[in-house]
Parts: sequence; C-alpha cells; structure tokens
Amino acid sequence: MIDTISILNEIKQAPYKEITISAPHSGRIEFAVDQIGTRVKGASGTWFERPGTLLARLVREGNPKPVYAPENGEVVKFHDVNDREFVQAGTPLMTIRHFLTKQEVMDIILKKALHLFNAPEKGRYYFVAEIDAKIKSQGLRSVSVKEGDEVLILSRMKRETTIPYHGPQGIIYTSYFNSNESVEMGAPLFGVCPEDQVKDIKAVIDKIQSGWEEQE
Amino acid sequence: MKKHKVLIANRGEIAIRILRACQDLGQDFVCVYTREDAQSEHCTEALKHGGEDSLYRISSYQDPNEIFAVADHSQATAVHPGYGFFAEDFRFARRVVQRSRKLEFIGPSWKIIQDLGDKINTKRLARQLNVPTIPGSDRPIFDDLEAEEVARSLFNFQIEQGIEQPVILVKASAGGGGMGIEEVNDPDRFRNVLRKVKNYARRQFRDEGVLIEQRIFDFNHLEVQILADSHGNVVHFGTRNCTVQSTGRQKRIEVAPGFDPSAVSYAFDAGKVLNDVIEYSVHMAQNVGYNSIGTWEWIVSPTGKPFLMEVNTRIQVENGVSAIIARIEDMEVDLIREQIRIGLGEKMDFDQGSIKFEGVGIEYRILAEDPGNAFTPWVGRIEKFSWPEHPWLRMHTHIPRDRVYDIPTEFDPNLALGIVWGKNLKEAQKRGLTFLNQLTLQGRNNMGENLKSNISYLKEKTDSLLVF
Repeated sequence: MIDTISILNEIKQAPYKEITISAPHSGRIEFAVDQIGTRVKGASGTWFERPGTLLARLVREGNPKPVYAPENGEVVKFHDVNDREFVQAGTPLMTIRHFLTKQEVMDIILKKALHLFNAPEKGRYYFVAEIDAKIKSQGLRSVSVKEGDEVLILSRMKRETTIPYHGPQGIIYTSYFNSNESVEMGAPLFGVCPEDQVKDIKAVIDKIQSGWEEQE
Repeated sequence: MKKHKVLIANRGEIAIRILRACQDLGQDFVCVYTREDAQSEHCTEALKHGGEDSLYRISSYQDPNEIFAVADHSQATAVHPGYGFFAEDFRFARRVVQRSRKLEFIGPSWKIIQDLGDKINTKRLARQLNVPTIPGSDRPIFDDLEAEEVARSLFNFQIEQGIEQPVILVKASAGGGGMGIEEVNDPDRFRNVLRKVKNYARRQFRDEGVLIEQRIFDFNHLEVQILADSHGNVVHFGTRNCTVQSTGRQKRIEVAPGFDPSAVSYAFDAGKVLNDVIEYSVHMAQNVGYNSIGTWEWIVSPTGKPFLMEVNTRIQVENGVSAIIARIEDMEVDLIREQIRIGLGEKMDFDQGSIKFEGVGIEYRILAEDPGNAFTPWVGRIEKFSWPEHPWLRMHTHIPRDRVYDIPTEFDPNLALGIVWGKNLKEAQKRGLTFLNQLTLQGRNNMGENLKSNISYLKEKTDSLLVF
C-alpha cells in the first residue's frame, strides 16, 4: 500500500498550482477582472452549474463568449494583452494561483495507488458502446475489466481502432480523459482497482478527507 | 479584376496551393492555423509571402465564428474553404454571403451546395434527369425496421439479377470521402453492421442517418472535373480514374484520363463510357446552374455500365492530375486559380473548344501508413523528406524539408501529392516509378521504430494502372 501520509506532506510543501487562462478563440478580448490579487471562484453547484468568476469576454461576430475562472484562486499575473485588443486563440491572458482541493489531492494520490491504463497512442478515446452505456446508467465503478477486454476506441485521423485492456482485473475506479480532446501517448486514460483493494482505496480517501484542509 | 483579400479557411498543402494561386492573380491572402499545425509549411509560406499580418492562430478550423472574427480583423473580402472542413457546408457558405459584413465565397452558391452537397439529394436529382444511379435508398434512413426492409429488398433484387453472392453497403449519410461505409454479405449480420455504422456516424458526424445501396463489385471509380461560372458557362476538364484505394476506400492514386483504350484493352467501349459520363455530368451541371469547380463521381461496372455516386461541390485533392493534362492556349491549367477567378465574379474567358488534352497524368498520395496492416496510419516524427525536381513533376506538400516534423493526429494523414506527366501511359508510369524511387521519406516514432510509408504499395500499383 502506498504511504499516503508522506505524499500528503510532500504536497503540503507546495499546495498550489498555477493556471494560465488563455484566449479560447480568436477575437476581441474585454477584461472583466483587471487587478492583480483579485480572488476568483471556480464553477460550483452539484453539477457545477454555477459558473466561476467572469474573467473576460471574448467577442467574435458580435457574440461575447464569457471566460470564467475554472478554479478558486487568486490572480497573480496579467500577460501582455490590452483591454479590447484582438487576440489569437491560445494567447495567454492571466495566471491564477489555485490552492489544491481535496479532490485534486485525491486524484494525485489515486494516480499512485491505482493501476493506470495509459494511452498507447496519441488520439481521441471513447469507451466502447457497451461500457459507455453501462457507465451512463450505473456509473463508472460498475464496470469490471480484465486482460484482453475491448474497452476503448481510439479515433485518430478519422479512423477508429478498438483498444484492448492490459493489466490486472478490477473495476474502473476513475477515468482521466475527455472524448472531445486528444490524449497524448502515455497519458493515463483510466485507473483500475482490483476488487479486493477497493477497501484500501477507500481508506486512502478517508485519510485525505481528514488530512487536507481546503482554502478559498 | 477587383482587388481582394482571400481568407484561406484550410490547412496543409491545399492552403499553400490556394495561397500561390492568389499570388498569381495578384490577390492578397490571409491564412489560419491551429496549435497542432504550427509547424506546417502553410504557416511558413504565409509568413514568407504575406508577413506577420497574414497568419492567425485559431482554436479550430471548424469554428465559423472564429474564421469570421479573423476575416473581419484582417479585412478579408473573400473566403476560400479549400477541401474538407467548410467546403461543402451550405450554412457556412450562406453565412459568408449573407452576414452584415458580406464576403465572397469561393465555391458554388450555397443553394447548389445544399442541393448537391448531400449525396441523397444528388441521387434524387440525377434520377429526375435520367442520369443512372446505384440501386438503393435515396434518402437517409433513421429507423432500424425501415433499414432492414430496404436491405432485404436489395438482397432479393440482386438474387433476381442472377448475382450469386449479393452484397449491400451501409453508409453514414453525413459521411464523405469513403468514411463510415461497411458492407454486408449476410442478411443476418445486417443489424449488427447497421448499429456499428450508426454509432460511428453519431460520433463522427452527429447524425445517425444511413444510406443502403447495392455493392457493385470490381468497379472502377471515375470522376469528371467540371468548371462552371455564374454566367451559364460549363466546361469539363476530362476524366480521372481513382480506383486505386486503401482498404478504407481512401484514394491513393489518381490517373487522368480515366481510361486509356489506346494502351489498355477493355471488355467494353471505354471511349464511349468516358464520353457518356462527361455528357451526363455536364448535362446535370447545366441543369442545376452549377457555378464553380466541382467533381461528378462515378462508378463503372465490369460491363461498362456507369452509375453516378455523388457530386463534390468543391475543389478536390486530385484536381492537379486533371490540370496537368489540360492546356489552354498551350499553357498548363491551374484549376484553383480558375476557381478563384470565377468565385470573385469573373466570367470564364475560354470555352470547351479551347481546352486541349495532352498525355497522361498520375497523382500519387504519399502517406505515412502501413499498407500491410490495413493501411494503419503511422504517427511519429519525419526526419528527412526530399526528392529531386523534374520538369514533369509537380509536388504539393505541407511537410517542411529543412527541419523535423511531428505528424499531427488530428487531421487526414496525407503527407504529399506527387503528380507526374508523360506523353502516354507508359511514359507516365515510368516517370512515376522514377519519382517514387528517388523519393526519400524517413522518420521515427516514440518507440524508435522506423517510419512506415505507402511508397512500395504505390510502386506495386503503378504497373497495372487503368487496367480493368
């Protein structure tokens, strides 16, 4: 079993991550936040239905697209972009320092505890139709996988290939990919927990729940 | 000709060809690119010939708002969609010409794209004009029971025709370019295949509609290149044969003209078939008021019976192989340049009589793929790509020759097009092999494995080109 306490202590040494907010598209940018030190909030609500703090609006074709803070944090830097300037997609706008949440700490530790099934190639991934249907109806942890099971579809260059699972038998505990985005080769796709270790994983989660205090 | 600035809403080699055609015509241009394409030569060329204000990064080639934001900021006055992406999207074409700051759309009018861009509509229109089409459905089917009924009747139809092993095709109706097509030879397997195609179509095109057609075996795939303007002039640039395709029905070699009765013996009157498909295509283009470049795609059965498959209302990858055998006043033709001139409102300044055809053209599509393993795309880094220049060779590529290049996985896997010309089929084949033998394409992937390409496959196919 992994040493949760020392990993937690290690994370506590640098409990932040810096998030660069970039222009999602090309268009004219209008800043809604313009002061360094401004505290911002990420999306909230049961289904994250309440958007985060409005940081800026990107106007294309007269339509303003809001740019919200993805996480709680503090604006620590503005990049070299003027208000109402035309920016190209991907231009960095500002940097937010974000204090890690319990969930993020859990993700870091789970990545060490679970068996990670990594992307064999760069591309977009989808669960095969049967697994996808089961996840949608019964949730991620309802799916058990074993060596050789066809679990994913790799889509790249408009072609699709079925990807078999390699690793220990267990349940899919968490997934790390979004079918709308390309996954780099070697990046984790999902984490599998052997059924007899689910208890241990829950114990790890309990330790984090009690051992990590979230900050605004 | 009025001065324009053309926004090239595309990537790769076609963006480069459009850029050069704009330069030839004395028109300004502006290019776009995405993060994955930053190393593409179309970016280098844009910066080299147009300066910093000629290149804009966007998040996606498929986001119209972003294309228009760049068009407005850069003061573009026209949009060239290239092929793929928005090229056959009538809503995009309509928006280009109807938005508050109107632009020219370099392509057919949106109404024509709507009518012909949809292969089901095309089939219906063709049937109205007595143009032969493939037996099967002529509208998208969403209902599984109806699909099974159509499949059953097509199996029965083929049995009545004396076909011993009938086969049908299930096609994603929103698909194109050979994507989302599966065949069924056992009626009991139909339901499974239908589900597979519908799932694929939903993921790739967000549209579950399918077409069900008779599968015609051992056919040749022919195309007729049409050019028309908005003043009622329609000409053709002959035929192409696109029969050499990968297992996924992706074209790999195109030859112009489509058959060569002077060098190859056919079981039917090949010259008549070529004339027939040209005549049908021109007739249909005239009837629908076609007003740009376009391709009428045909399949020809082993008995020489042609069926119209679809119309591509755009410039095609393989336009260059038709251009290389065409001469107007003894000059080689650039079909992209002609498309731009017509798209910007010019009248065609030549007629069918002034187009002369000379020799044979072969286009090779160079890809990093493994033909021995179902043409699986190879992904990795290209370290060396070079070829000697020849007067009979036209090479189109976005792959840099002066630096390494990581192949992006987000797009079609085409790396380059090599088009050769010969005074006859034999000479074109010989030159084709010379070109392929002299081509250097090397690279490695993350695991240190050597690049896999289709060059050997292209060589192997060269000997039997145009043989039916």
